[in-house]
Amino acid sequence: MTDVSTAKVTVSPEEFTFVKYDASEIATIVAELAAQLEISNRINVVVNETTPLAKVYEEIDGTSSDATITLHAESGALEDRKHPMSFSAKDARESLGRILLRAHDRMQPGFGEAPDDLDLTLAENAAWDTYCAGRLTRMGVAVNEQRWRYNHRNRFGFNDDVDTKFARLWAADDLAWSDIADGG
Amino acid sequence: MRQFFPVEDLARDERFVQTNMAERMKDGRTAIDMKESSAKSRGASKRLTPERHDASDAARGLMHGIMVGEIQALEGAGRTAHDFAAGDGSNDTVPFELKLDMARQAWDEARHVEISAKLSDWMGTELGEFAENTVLFEAACSDDPILRLAGVNRALEGLAIDVFTQMKEFGDIAGDPFLEFCEDWMLADEVTHVKMGSDWLRKVTANDPDRRAKALEFQQVVDKLFSFGGARGESAESSFSLARRFRELAGFTDDEVDVISEMDNEALEERKEAIRKYREKVGAEPVDA
Repeated sequence: MTDVSTAKVTVSPEEFTFVKYDASEIATIVAELAAQLEISNRINVVVNETTPLAKVYEEIDGTSSDATITLHAESGALEDRKHPMSFSAKDARESLGRILLRAHDRMQPGFGEAPDDLDLTLAENAAWDTYCAGRLTRMGVAVNEQRWRYNHRNRFGFNDDVDTKFARLWAADDLAWSDIADGG
Repeated sequence: MRQFFPVEDLARDERFVQTNMAERMKDGRTAIDMKESSAKSRGASKRLTPERHDASDAARGLMHGIMVGEIQALEGAGRTAHDFAAGDGSNDTVPFELKLDMARQAWDEARHVEISAKLSDWMGTELGEFAENTVLFEAACSDDPILRLAGVNRALEGLAIDVFTQMKEFGDIAGDPFLEFCEDWMLADEVTHVKMGSDWLRKVTANDPDRRAKALEFQQVVDKLFSFGGARGESAESSFSLARRFRELAGFTDDEVDVISEMDNEALEERKEAIRKYREKVGAEPVDA
């Protein structure tokens, strides 16, 4: 396991105004996830605290260990839904882990054709989320599988074939973009 | 058995955390496009449809809100059946037949709670995953049974008609057979509940125009609260719309729905103003510059 110190992870903003989040806690979570994934890149986390929405996406400016990874998260993605405006480490692990896995994928040879996160179709986005969420569970991160099954069904349909493809994506660990793009 | 139950004493297990409108309105964040100057402008749609990037999570959140709303509607109808003595409708009594209607409604709501809990499970939501806003039950705490009919059967159940119509449409477009089917059946019940409220309000206040006016005034206050800062409204900026056709079937006149629509717009504009003030207060960059 690569040792990634929190010094390699920066969080913006450093002080939160709209929500009760702690930048150092977020940095620690991202550093732990990065260590598990053996990612040694510099990582910037940018939180948009002015919206309660929960969109997350990542950007990476290369494919080597020198590339900088930027994780973007709307504040709802890191929020304790029982206590609005409060931080949830569990949800932060799940949301940031998902897009950190995407960045990890982009550094692999089979992902050169993958569009940037913001250019993904809703269906492509859902399929990649399924692939990432399944792997997160095997990393020990708490994930509600049914939530992601429902998300997948919403994009690909409510039938047995789609469920079979969901199960395949969920259980997979070593796919290329071409295996994911059409929903598995 | 105890009568007139305050909202603070609602029974919930440890899975549920309660909040209220005052707490929710302290949240200075917003998903509203603040650059739009008019509530009826054609900004990017916030309507809850499968086309939204966060569609399934937004639907899960709304479904959980429906489930706890059904619990509170059950509690509200049950309280009204129990809290007032049977009589001719004067001096805080209610006709016995009104109590029977409230008992029937409580039975319907109990069924809706079960359906909504199962739908939540189907959508990947844990019971209590989201904070429970108790504003719905607060509309059922009046000492006057006629105000309760206005608050619960007309405002709350009217809100349910709007929300269920949106969720039914969501299920239909997404191809979710269970969501579409269940919302359709629950919607039919809600139309009946509104109709019961409208009918009883008219009957009991037939010879008491002041009491009727007071009840309708109370309903307007509650309706504006149930706009949730413009989350309901006919603007594209609202998550769900007024279900005009089903409200008509439930006995709302066009004028009444127009008034609610206007209040939804007011609530949206007031929410935007509150957000602007909050941002000024915390020194954040203005969003509508």
